Amino acid sequence: MAYKTYRDLRDFLATLEAEGQLVRIKDEVNPEPEIGAAGRAAANLKNGPAVLFENVKGYKGSVVTNVHGSWANHALMMGMDKDTPVIDQFRELARRWDKYPVAPNIVTDAPCKQNKITEDINIFEILPLYRINKYDGGFFISKASVISADPDEPQNFDKMNVGTYRIQVKGKDTLGIQALPFHDIGLQLKKAERLNKPVPIAITIGNDPIVTFMASTPVKYDQNEYGFVGALRDGVPSDVIKAEETDLLIPAGAEVVLEGYIKPRVRTVEGPFGEFPGSYSGARLQAEVKITTVTYRDNPIFENLYLGLPWTEIDYLLALNTCIPLYQQIKETHPEVKAVNAMYTHGIGVIVSTGVRYGGYGKAVGMRVLTTPHGMPYSKIVIVVDEFVDPFNLEQVMWALTTRVDPIKDVAIIPNCPGMPLDPSSNPPGMHSKLIIDATTPVAPEAVTRETQLLEPPVGYEIWEQTIQQLLKAQQAADPVLA
Amino acid sequence: MICPRCESENVDKLVDSPVGDVWEVYMCNRCYYSWRSTEDASVTDPAKYDKRFKLTEAQIAKMMEIPPIPPLEVE
Repeated sequence: MAYKTYRDLRDFLATLEAEGQLVRIKDEVNPEPEIGAAGRAAANLKNGPAVLFENVKGYKGSVVTNVHGSWANHALMMGMDKDTPVIDQFRELARRWDKYPVAPNIVTDAPCKQNKITEDINIFEILPLYRINKYDGGFFISKASVISADPDEPQNFDKMNVGTYRIQVKGKDTLGIQALPFHDIGLQLKKAERLNKPVPIAITIGNDPIVTFMASTPVKYDQNEYGFVGALRDGVPSDVIKAEETDLLIPAGAEVVLEGYIKPRVRTVEGPFGEFPGSYSGARLQAEVKITTVTYRDNPIFENLYLGLPWTEIDYLLALNTCIPLYQQIKETHPEVKAVNAMYTHGIGVIVSTGVRYGGYGKAVGMRVLTTPHGMPYSKIVIVVDEFVDPFNLEQVMWALTTRVDPIKDVAIIPNCPGMPLDPSSNPPGMHSKLIIDATTPVAPEAVTRETQLLEPPVGYEIWEQTIQQLLKAQQAADPVLA
Repeated sequence: MICPRCESENVDKLVDSPVGDVWEVYMCNRCYYSWRSTEDASVTDPAKYDKRFKLTEAQIAKMMEIPPIPPLEVE
């Protein structure tokens, strides 16, 4: 079966609207606090929609938020039915992941080139910028896909990076950018700054939802994100085009492209910013970007995300794309692993379901999570469950915890490990103790003191599930008030 | 006008609203805080700005650099 793919953000928004997963706000709204408040509200709803503001006071363009902010939208991004369970979305992503690399099509004409500005740049004329959370240090661009190259090998496609970094507006043509040392762009900046050279970048805003998804996925430094975009489009390459000032490749359908460079050896006050752990980051001295060229589509749409106390849009955006790389890495050495749920606070909490080869295997799987490249700094609490437990179904996970764990032998705490500095419980920032809970059923040579016989579902229950769902749908179609 | 956050007097108007004359955005040249004239007084008025988020010149001078600027290599 061929899954639906999207040319660009607009194509996806049309599908969201047709599926009842987008609402338009036509009345004029104040930029603050309305856009942030609507982003919070949409995330509070079960299967909340994208929210498109058509009339923002004082601005020309429109703003869309919560585009990735529900499991229904996430499934539609993958071209799947909007009711697809999370575990099935995980399995489908894992299947497509193995198609990497699928090279993008390089085109010579694209919608993102419809308009071009190189003088008197004022991004407020193009983007309806706004404060997301009350004590953010300014107006932030929270969902851009930023393209940059390795300074030593600017033509090396594999090392060309597409990443999402928080961006603070610091002038009509000046931005702050958070390039942490362990980010790919941080590595590129370090190489360039040693030689006092700028890092050319292209900040692309409003993309095919798979581009945005991959830009926020942790992959290896020499794995190009566009190669994964094609893989996750189930083998269908995406269109890219050369930037105006450099050979950086940008998504052809981007709404707005800000080209420029990171100034070498410059740091100015940035933040605070309401961050993914649900709290504000501190204010720090961070790098600055000068914008030298802007290209944009006619009537550009500013796509931005709200992030607040989890769950909000960022938690959906950083959910399965944190799970898949961890799953792929753990599976290499532990093929019994069935699924990895690393979608709590970007993988700080992880639940793994696995077959158990021999006694103590659950703990070994937990230790492997904590030694993966992402798990080492981020993951703090690891729960390991049996292979028949769906790690995305928290009721099932709680069942495993309550019926399989003997705390005296199944819980382990490992002191003084690497930690994620943005986790407020990390002490000192960047260090952490780790917790493994082995909630798998004991097998030999571990002492199996009490045999248990699991309840099995009655024969034919799958058919009954379908029958009941079909009856419900038919009932709702006949009487929309019930829907 | 002074910055609501660090109370510096080195503040500039960054932009007027692109449509109509409905707001202005200001920015502090010391702490880079920016605000819109139509926002709530709790984020635009120095007297009402939450003390937990205020910044002083001394705090800025001691702020951590992210990422650290590496030593310069001579080519």
